[in-house]
Amino acid sequence: MMKGGFEVVHATLDMIQPHREPIWDFASVGFPTTSVAAAAVSSIPRQNLENRCINLERNELSDWVEQVTKKLIDDLPAQNTDTDDHHSRTLQAPADIPMLCEDSFPPSLLGDFRPRKTVTSSDFDELQWSNVNGGNDRGLSRLDEQGLSLITLLLECAVAISIDNLGEAHRMLLELTQMASPYALSCAERVVAYFAKAMSSRVINSWLGICSPLINYKTVHCAFQAFNNVSPFIKFAHFTSNQAILEAFHRRDRVHIIDLDIMQGLQWPALFHILATRMEGPPHVTMTGMGSSMELLTETGKQLSNFAKRLGMSFEFHPIAKKFGEIDITMVRLRRGETLAIHWLQHSLYDATGPDWTTMRLMEQLGPRIITLVEQDLSHGGSFLDRFVGSLHYYSTMFDSLGAYLAADDPNRHHIEHCLLYREINNILAIGGPARSGEDKMKQWRSELAARNSFVQVPMSSNSMAQAQLILNMFPPAHGYRLVQGDGTLRLGWKDTSLFTASAWTSHISR
Amino acid sequence: MDEEDFSASSSKQYYPYYPHPQPHPSATGTTTTTPTSIHHAFETSEFSTFSPARDLTFDFSGKWATDILLETATAIADRNSGRFQQLMWILNELSSPYGDTDQKLGSYFLQALFNRMTDSGERCYRTLASVSEKTCSFETTRKMVLKFQEVSPWTTFGHVACNGAIMEAFEGESKLHIIDISSTYCTQWPTLLESLATRTDETPHLKLTTIVATKNGGVPGSSTSGTAAGSLASVQDIMKEIGNRMGKFARLMGVPFKFNVIHHGGDLCELDLSKLDIKEDEALAINCVGTLHSIRAVDNRRDMMISNFKKLQPRIITVVEEEADLDVGVDGMEFVKGFQECLRWFRVYFEALDESFARTSNERLMLERAAGRAIVELVACAPSESVERREPANRWSRRFHGS
Repeated sequence: MMKGGFEVVHATLDMIQPHREPIWDFASVGFPTTSVAAAAVSSIPRQNLENRCINLERNELSDWVEQVTKKLIDDLPAQNTDTDDHHSRTLQAPADIPMLCEDSFPPSLLGDFRPRKTVTSSDFDELQWSNVNGGNDRGLSRLDEQGLSLITLLLECAVAISIDNLGEAHRMLLELTQMASPYALSCAERVVAYFAKAMSSRVINSWLGICSPLINYKTVHCAFQAFNNVSPFIKFAHFTSNQAILEAFHRRDRVHIIDLDIMQGLQWPALFHILATRMEGPPHVTMTGMGSSMELLTETGKQLSNFAKRLGMSFEFHPIAKKFGEIDITMVRLRRGETLAIHWLQHSLYDATGPDWTTMRLMEQLGPRIITLVEQDLSHGGSFLDRFVGSLHYYSTMFDSLGAYLAADDPNRHHIEHCLLYREINNILAIGGPARSGEDKMKQWRSELAARNSFVQVPMSSNSMAQAQLILNMFPPAHGYRLVQGDGTLRLGWKDTSLFTASAWTSHISR
Repeated sequence: MDEEDFSASSSKQYYPYYPHPQPHPSATGTTTTTPTSIHHAFETSEFSTFSPARDLTFDFSGKWATDILLETATAIADRNSGRFQQLMWILNELSSPYGDTDQKLGSYFLQALFNRMTDSGERCYRTLASVSEKTCSFETTRKMVLKFQEVSPWTTFGHVACNGAIMEAFEGESKLHIIDISSTYCTQWPTLLESLATRTDETPHLKLTTIVATKNGGVPGSSTSGTAAGSLASVQDIMKEIGNRMGKFARLMGVPFKFNVIHHGGDLCELDLSKLDIKEDEALAINCVGTLHSIRAVDNRRDMMISNFKKLQPRIITVVEEEADLDVGVDGMEFVKGFQECLRWFRVYFEALDESFARTSNERLMLERAAGRAIVELVACAPSESVERREPANRWSRRFHGS
């Protein structure tokens, strides 16, 4: 649905061309023609057929997880009726897990899927050991037995944790951590290994009574870069956002960008290049970079300044080593007449912005012309079990996407899975939620933005779509990544599952 | 938590990494109990909003695991629960069994310390051992042992040295009997068989009696071979298969060969050596690779075993043991000292594994897990029952000279 108040002039805008080389190599700045892009494709790691993980069609694993969890959850007495009935029919673990739960699980958790019957322990045996099963709707013939039994145990464990039966959970986790390997050929087994470890961490933190994180930012940023080299998601985020920002900056000559979590600022050189070479001449650019360490921010600022200088673009950098939701408006050096863009690439590596409601409030106060938001299609809010199910689905898909192109023994793949994806899984499942502070996070930022009167959605333009398509062309296309445009957003996912959604918003009070 | 624990002066003393004074905990009403049970030491609703990470500059470079773990052991010995809690939190956040050596050490020792503090060492060890045994087949064990020998001299070094000594001791003999009490699944013997086959004189007859000691009916774990405590049945299966292969190989080499397996339940020192079918006219060698340390280090058992060996009048006794002093004390400074040596030893081991294997090796993971089980046993289980108490060479030497 088109919201008024914002025009896109297609004909005259340049398109930002993505390129693969590390941004700081000045000589490589210069946008590839299609032939260069084609050459880039051939240097992408080829599929190693022997080592490729069990490649699930149609995300069978995630579907099956949904099925089983739904049955498990349905067995828990959501209402207080039929409690005894449920008890006798519910899954009996060797040591009884008391199946009383405090929270009620919303039946809409997994959509309208209706279980055929209540799960009994014999059903679980069936699920565990049956391979090709006529009664099984989704054709799980390619999931190995080992993988299935691991996931079953993992789910039982999650349920135990959700009802605070930590002793039982710990015992099951001891088993799981001996059975699942993160170096396995099977992506499902890798996922189980990391989920089990995350839950073990949670049990220990629960016992200790501390929920805060201790983060090694260097490792995280390094893994983030490695991920950027093998997977299109981050470039997708960068280039679609840059396009929307570019469009918002049309004919503006004093612009200000606030990057809520700038890291190494990999996103910006491409935008700077286009701004510097646009027809109406370069604007004066102020950038406020936010992040965890002043040291890293200063370094990033230096690099960006050098780059801008070479482009002949007037540039100012303001570092703020704080979280956006923890500062007040006076800390932002926004000048009169500056057109403001706020950019936020969300992730679960650490809490980049602090409390959600103050973040929202500050955005409203600043009245940006454009907010570019890229969200993981994963809810950070909700109960432990909600987050568990959602993230199991999400990260199974993510692991699948890596496993489709990287060999099982590829140390780079391991680096990304361990130092990046596992970090996120650990945070999402942790005590105190993903923010690691006990704060309940908003479930989905774009819904919140839509709900507020202060913001109006700006649909992602066809130019942004074209940008995204160009990014995808850089990664082996074969039946993998899926790009979808709809509701004014752009979504990039793997097969049936959307993993990231890019959207843009403008403030009613923007200049 | 007491505010005093976190004043600037004490923090500099205990936390050399933190340049800033510790923040004061902002929540009240948290109890300072020594966590003794696995159920919450703290009620979920009483979660402290205390953030130990605020203003923290942690030095991730270098061997942080050793330092943090040692401080944790000291906190336990000092009964300083606040400090213990904070250090365990650091370990929990930073460690991972799938990361670098420090992360791995952190992970396995964290588990063991957790077990120690919750009195769950025995239970945990049994669970780990039984799961490992379930997932271990002859094939996986064999693959792991062979891969380890392929990438590292850790076990083959001992084999080669022992075989050399045994060949020398058996010079000129025609009826040979080797009593083998080892943790390496007979991988030592093919090269010996080859040597025997290529001896200039007539090929001697070799009888190999392999003793597999089982604890409570299962095999005690051995970190050097990565074996899990396994059920009698699974061990019997494995040894049967090994026997078949050894027989085939011996036939191939043209060495007259007899293979016996003896399964012994309980402590090795209780083994009745008279049952070993040792004939008068045989030249006897006793070979112990990585198994003597499984004899309980109490009641002179180790000396007894050695003296029993000697009574058999072997030509030679060959012993391979890891050079570590892993008698972890019960509490106080004894505990800290023992813990420190454990740390030192397992760091050496993990670093060696890291260097030898590929980054993503499942075989290495199996060996690491076995080491993890040994760590649980050493740190969280009763010393009198331990099968992991390695002694350094000079002590073994004294024992052999003594009895």
